[in-house]
Amino acid sequence: MKKRIFALLICVLMISSLIAGCGQSNTNKPADGTAAPDKTAEKTADASGELSGTFTYWSCFSGDSMIWDQGRVDSFNAENPNVKCEVQFVTDSAGINNGKLLAAIAGGNAPDLIIADDYSSAYSYAANGSFESWEPYLEFTGLSLDDFIKGYQDVMYYDGVPYLIPQDGNALMLYYNVDMFKEAGLDPNNPPTTLAQLDEYADKLSVKDASGNYTTFGYIPWLDSGNDAFVWPFFFGNNVYDQETKKLTITEQNVVDTYEWMRTYAQKYNPEKIQAFVSGAGGMFSPDHPFMTGKVAMTLTGNWFTNALRIYAPDVNYKVAPVPVPAGGRANSTTVNANVFGIPKGAKNPELAAYFLKYAMQPAVNATNFDEWRSVPTIDAAFDEISWTKAGDEIYLMERKLVNSPDSGMPALCKVSAQLSVDINALRDNVIYNNADPLPLLQALQDKMQAELDK
Amino acid sequence: MRGVAKLHRKMKRSKLAGNIETAILYLILIAVSILFVIPFLWLLFGSFKEGSELFRAPFRWLPDRIQFDNYKQMFTAIPFLKYLKNTLIIVFFNIVGSTVSSSFVAYGFARLHWPLRNKIFMIVLATMVLPFQVTMIPLFIMYTNWGWIGTFLPLTVTCFFGNPFFIFLFRQFFVGLPKELTYAARVDGANEFRIYSTIIMPLAKPCITTVAIFAFMRTWNDFIGPLVFLADDDLYTLSLAAQLLRSNLDPRWHILLALGVVMVMPVLIVFFLMQKYFIQGVAMSGIKE
Amino acid sequence: MNMTRKNSIRKPMRAEKKEALTAMVFIAPWVVGFLVFTLYPILSSLYYSMTNYNVLNPPSFIGFENYINLLKDKVYLKSLTNTLYMIVIGGTITIIVSLIVSIIMDNRKLRGISLFRVFFFMPTLVPTVIACVLWIWMLQPTTGVVNTLLGYLGITGPGWIASPTWSKPAMILMMIWACGNIIIVNMAGLQDIPQSMYESASIDGANFFQKVRTITIPLLRPVILYNSVTLIINILQWFAEPLIMTEGGPDSSTLFYSLYLYQNAFQFFKMGYASAMAWIMLIIALALIIFLLKFLKFGESE
Repeated sequence: MKKRIFALLICVLMISSLIAGCGQSNTNKPADGTAAPDKTAEKTADASGELSGTFTYWSCFSGDSMIWDQGRVDSFNAENPNVKCEVQFVTDSAGINNGKLLAAIAGGNAPDLIIADDYSSAYSYAANGSFESWEPYLEFTGLSLDDFIKGYQDVMYYDGVPYLIPQDGNALMLYYNVDMFKEAGLDPNNPPTTLAQLDEYADKLSVKDASGNYTTFGYIPWLDSGNDAFVWPFFFGNNVYDQETKKLTITEQNVVDTYEWMRTYAQKYNPEKIQAFVSGAGGMFSPDHPFMTGKVAMTLTGNWFTNALRIYAPDVNYKVAPVPVPAGGRANSTTVNANVFGIPKGAKNPELAAYFLKYAMQPAVNATNFDEWRSVPTIDAAFDEISWTKAGDEIYLMERKLVNSPDSGMPALCKVSAQLSVDINALRDNVIYNNADPLPLLQALQDKMQAELDK
Repeated sequence: MRGVAKLHRKMKRSKLAGNIETAILYLILIAVSILFVIPFLWLLFGSFKEGSELFRAPFRWLPDRIQFDNYKQMFTAIPFLKYLKNTLIIVFFNIVGSTVSSSFVAYGFARLHWPLRNKIFMIVLATMVLPFQVTMIPLFIMYTNWGWIGTFLPLTVTCFFGNPFFIFLFRQFFVGLPKELTYAARVDGANEFRIYSTIIMPLAKPCITTVAIFAFMRTWNDFIGPLVFLADDDLYTLSLAAQLLRSNLDPRWHILLALGVVMVMPVLIVFFLMQKYFIQGVAMSGIKE
Repeated sequence: MNMTRKNSIRKPMRAEKKEALTAMVFIAPWVVGFLVFTLYPILSSLYYSMTNYNVLNPPSFIGFENYINLLKDKVYLKSLTNTLYMIVIGGTITIIVSLIVSIIMDNRKLRGISLFRVFFFMPTLVPTVIACVLWIWMLQPTTGVVNTLLGYLGITGPGWIASPTWSKPAMILMMIWACGNIIIVNMAGLQDIPQSMYESASIDGANFFQKVRTITIPLLRPVILYNSVTLIINILQWFAEPLIMTEGGPDSSTLFYSLYLYQNAFQFFKMGYASAMAWIMLIIALALIIFLLKFLKFGESE
């Protein structure tokens, strides 16, 4: 008898939870996505402008950066007893790249603030109308958007409305092994500056053993940041997408040149063998990265790699240089991969989020972040407060110069960047492994994605 | 007489051949099982290796020394206990939900007669092999509208509605119980719910054990469910945490391997203690009579 | 006894009705679950598959456009051929290997079978994510166990998951490693074959292979077919392995059906497009299920 009651009870529980679930959806869903629920008013402020309440913050960080961001939130909460920030760590760029942010917005429980490390996907969300404008809340942030370095401006606005505010950025550089340069008879103080030089140096730095197998590669175009779909096309001078005409530009000559250039490397060295040779389980932060083990002499990667080298390969004697580019390319520049803040549609406490931003953007609060990763601030004046600048660190001075270059910026700011990046990498693989002709592939991809964009 | 002698000779020859045959078969089995077990040994040894040792070439089987730093770091580098607690919560609801609901439903299919029963049971069986991907997207949208994404609800509530495989296991078991068992109770006027709870269920302990083990296994190992339905780090399960560690910029493999050992161990222990139930459960799935 | 039989054959109408009603209560949880968590999703998936839908904006109806676009989508076709490769080559090898192992283990002369059974079954207990991590390392080109073992035999191993040619064979290795379930089902089926058949064949002078060919395989056919169908459906669902180990690369060589479906749904937010993929998958699965039910009399007891 007891069990029968138990079973019935469970049935009732299940059904009631279902009904509760349905009910919830009706109450929580914002009517049209714009109207903030009336709670906001009573929670946030009276006329005096004194803010109070609790807000939710989704952070994309993991590992050490997660500990750092948790510390930032803790100190904010300690300094602001009336405002409570509840931080949740959500992978895949704060749920942008796995549907969780969409689900939260559509389900009516969107966080009030997110920080995403994939700026191009965040931008595609902005383009799809998934973020609130920062405009009404700028006064709480104490920021002036015009102060931001020009290279970051593109990602901030969609159709002239500011949706994303970059916290910090990264600069890409060419890392090269000084000892290997000397062995190959190259001058480590004269790194390659043009693409032709890069090829020439790569040739000289590549070493074969007696049986004809390579034991060292000078350079592999698709290693590290070179593996990011939009990076090499950007340095070749292409933006991937033209914001003015709203058209993709991947059939332009410089993109074709990019993949023809990669094809020459694939033809010279067997790409399957390269991959088997350089692929390690470790990736960037492990002692088996090919640059650390001396399997490659040069690689294109970001400022974070200095930290990885410090930890895992302190003995490697390396230097950095601006990325070499072909004629017509973006010399002495970089993509400014930024971590960006956004307020998701339907956020209930955007003022609190903006108030947090005021705290979170202070150079002093970010100092440990800059110190560890050598990442770069988004407002030039902030550079002066960072220990690397004060110490006259050469790499950091170069980063500052690169980020401030008028050619620096972010490629592929459009609605379909997530799929485009996957598809372009597939296309690249097709070129290097199957010796396919890039132009027809690029044309087909452009037609397909332009149709998506025009929908 | 001649025939018998011939048969005798033949048997002698076949005995020798049989010994060689047996030896060959043993060799094959031993070789194959070594290949099957090597990954486990590698995992175990690897969990004692230091981070840098893992990457050292050429490969060496044994760690330089036995040290438990990786296991210690597992508690400090990741919120291991939080992930474990989350996993156990989901496992608990799945075991309770699956055993109660599936046995209840199975009783209706096994011990009661009603029209269309076998046809409906075919539908139950058919859903057993339905790929999750088919319902994944609409479920995601449905849970999104209910505000369930980022909570445990999608991973716990559904198991209270009976799992087809478990219904099948219970039904096979219930069908095998003799009719006489319940006859007396029926004559005494007991209703079916009473018969289910006081007569049948106490007898079904072996089947309950099997189902509980399978429910545990499925939930403990589940990856795609938590991946699609959970959102923030606070609710992550061990499987999801392992994937998170792997996809990190800084994977920390040595911790991941220790986590791997910790995740495999409970399953292996349960398996060694209750081998019979495992084998029965798996074997049953293929029996179609 | 007599009474019982009579009772069950010709019950009074009211008792019959009452029993059926009680049964409805018993199966109610399943019915609700089936309608809400299976049937409704399948039907709404059909609707979504004919729409353009990104979760945030309401779906817009576009008819069969998604299906037509799928047939033109080279990446989709690639994922389909990759999956087909795994089914045809990987599936066949796995079935054959598991069959060989289980036939050997069925030999009554061998002792210690339960120990071997444990060894073969153990891999199926490993959580998928951990199995993937494990195999990433096992398959490392220079420091991996697999190539080290091959090196003992004097063979220079390939790049495995780093190579477009060898990535699928690498995954087939993993699949074989986890075939314990199939072995157990096979062995249950083998036990049903009466030992006397082998004995009389021995007296007729049949050797091991003749016995396997003429007795074991024909009698085990339904079990083999059952294993094949469930294996195919499992391969259709193959997802965690390519996601965790290779992300579909290199050169899209491990981009399998379910991974591409997941990408479209949760990375590109093309819910309609992904639903169309899911429906094609459903049709394939349904065909297999019907095959299972019709030709194997699966689940028909009594």
